[in-house]
Amino acid sequence: MTELEAGRAQTLVPVRSGAVLQRYRDVLIALIAFAVLASLPLFTGSKALLDFVIRCSAYGLFATSLNLLVGYTGLTSFGHGMFFGLGAYSFGLIMQKLGVPIPVAFVATLAITAVFATIIGAICVRLKEIYFAFVTLAFQMLIHSTILSWASFTGGDQGLRGGIPRPVFLGIDLSNHVHLYVTSCALLILGLLAMRQIAQSPFGYTLRMIRDNAARASFLGIDVWRAKLTVFVLAALFASMGGMVMALFVSGAYPEFAYWTISGEGIFINMLGGVSTFLGPMVGTVLLLLLNDTVTRFTEYHGIVLGVVILFFALGLRKGLLDFVAEWFSHRHDAGKGR
Amino acid sequence: MTRTRTPGISRRSTLALMGAGAMSVAAPWVARAQAKTIKIGMPTILSGRVAQLGTSSRNAVMLEVEKVNAAGGLAGRQIEMVIRDSKGQPQEAARVARELVNTDGCELMIDAEASSGAFAVHEVARDLGVFCIHTNSETSALTADPKQHIPNAFRTARQGVHDSIVGGSYAAAIAKAKGLKKWATCSPDYAYGRDTTAEFTLYLKRFAPEVEIISESWPKLFQADYTEVVTKILQAKPQALYSCLWGGDLTSYIDQANIYAMFGQMEVFAVNMADYTALTVVKNLPKGIHSGNRYIKTFPTTPENAAWGDAYKAKFNEYPTNWSWENATAIMLMAEAAKKANSADGKKIAEVLKGLTIKCPFGADGTVTMRGDDHTLVGYAIGWGTTIPQEPYVPEVKAGDWKTIFELEAEWKKSKGYT
Repeated sequence: MTELEAGRAQTLVPVRSGAVLQRYRDVLIALIAFAVLASLPLFTGSKALLDFVIRCSAYGLFATSLNLLVGYTGLTSFGHGMFFGLGAYSFGLIMQKLGVPIPVAFVATLAITAVFATIIGAICVRLKEIYFAFVTLAFQMLIHSTILSWASFTGGDQGLRGGIPRPVFLGIDLSNHVHLYVTSCALLILGLLAMRQIAQSPFGYTLRMIRDNAARASFLGIDVWRAKLTVFVLAALFASMGGMVMALFVSGAYPEFAYWTISGEGIFINMLGGVSTFLGPMVGTVLLLLLNDTVTRFTEYHGIVLGVVILFFALGLRKGLLDFVAEWFSHRHDAGKGR
Repeated sequence: MTRTRTPGISRRSTLALMGAGAMSVAAPWVARAQAKTIKIGMPTILSGRVAQLGTSSRNAVMLEVEKVNAAGGLAGRQIEMVIRDSKGQPQEAARVARELVNTDGCELMIDAEASSGAFAVHEVARDLGVFCIHTNSETSALTADPKQHIPNAFRTARQGVHDSIVGGSYAAAIAKAKGLKKWATCSPDYAYGRDTTAEFTLYLKRFAPEVEIISESWPKLFQADYTEVVTKILQAKPQALYSCLWGGDLTSYIDQANIYAMFGQMEVFAVNMADYTALTVVKNLPKGIHSGNRYIKTFPTTPENAAWGDAYKAKFNEYPTNWSWENATAIMLMAEAAKKANSADGKKIAEVLKGLTIKCPFGADGTVTMRGDDHTLVGYAIGWGTTIPQEPYVPEVKAGDWKTIFELEAEWKKSKGYT
């Protein structure tokens, strides 16, 4: 071992043990979060609250997966909603037509999404910025139009009708509200944990480097195209999971799930919550759904209210809520050190 | 043997005391339950492109609810409507519907959603078991398909297949009388447009087998410019044109086709023309467009219908729409069923509602019936007529024959594998 190598090995060890520690910390936080969420039905009989958390799971998975693209890789996808819709439709169709157990349909849906995402991603990730945004949007509209036109298979604009059958598996009955709730929470926490691992892995740091300077990453020997494609497919899988949770919640799938407005909502959630922290999109999801649910209770002019909120975040804060909070904390920290 | 009263507290009086105690504890709840207002939830579309769907539905419901409340309410309970916007998104419709039942305590539901939203609310009704009347979805499958059937859901809207049968037979009679053999179609490119056009041409050809479709156009929903469609149709030189464009699409189509003087060159059959939303918006309404009735206060030609249309206009300063009568009918049926059942309980109302016939201003013969076997409205006024440019817009409407409708509907159901 040369001197140089020895020195490198020494510095590597603490870094690696730090990563391991952080991983344990993440798993611990995830376990606590799941325990808190899963015990919620013991304390409250409010079905509306459970509904709210189920929807948060669906949108939270979707928005956080979008942040893997937008925040970590710098790929602003306007068509991410297609995977949300694809997940909902694939899952619904498999359950309706084949009647397989739910876990089989779940895995099959992920496989289908992976195939679609690989094909679409292979074409899209070569492009940059606005071109990437618009080609993803075009693919989304292609999938949306296919759902509308292929009425004999997808039910067209009426959506998948007749409900999604939910046979009991491993003692879990998803037609039971509480079971569905706990399953959604589990999927959310597992999804978030997996995405956190991706973001904190060396691969996650490669993505950040691609975002900041793709040419440099390429000169360092990184296959930028392959890295982008990989994260595109991974993000699609989590969006598809979100779509499945939504399909279970509404017991159907509708073309609106694959429409551009869903992608728009994803972008909006990321703007609200912030893209520089991992949990930003999750905070954004809770904020948006809370806003939506309270505002629609009182007025049908919710568009104005949401518009004002966007303006406040875009022009006033110039960043998402969690970004703002994180920055404020680090300022305080720095000020404290300087004293 | 004489019975003597033993001193102290007998078993009977203990029971009576206990009963009284229980009553005094329970009485406030029982009393409150009886006197309490009954909440009816109503998810509908109040924002976006088809907000008119929701507002005209809400207006009609409020008009009828006022009457029911003035007459003592639903089996003695005053109705309180909780109406909420779903933005036309099915996942929002499902969420709002669940919220209305679970959080707001609505015991009954009026689902004033269109197309996919109605199916989303239908699933909520299936899940929660809440009594629900669909008022705006005309998709036949919603009630015709036995897979959709649940005991607690009904529909008071038109049904697509009824419209097609009446339209097809009306158009065939004119085709025969005027020798119209070459037909073109122009309908919006989505399930409603495709299905309705296919069913219309099916019945048109059945009654007039010599008819031939020589051109089909499928403009996008909410398309702004129809020039290519109009010129395509003019080049094909058909003798007649069928269209199920509706609302703003239909009015912009007519305004643009007027520039090419299209309406002088062929007979036009536009099923959704005879609705005030279209009639009053078109700049120059051509004379002689054939249309099905959507809502028009002159058909059925009864004083009750005219009075209802005028009352609505007086209150909301605009004419009712097709959706208005469908929603008003839902409240009328609910009120009558609650009276018969002497209860506002959803299950009891549903039991009575099956096969219930009520007096109604929108009935073909002054009554409408909630058909028992598939929970859908029948006997409503349905017919076709031709337009004139000013009020009453469609002076004479030829009524459809419900006997023929029933026969062909049964046949259609069989062909779809529903029966």
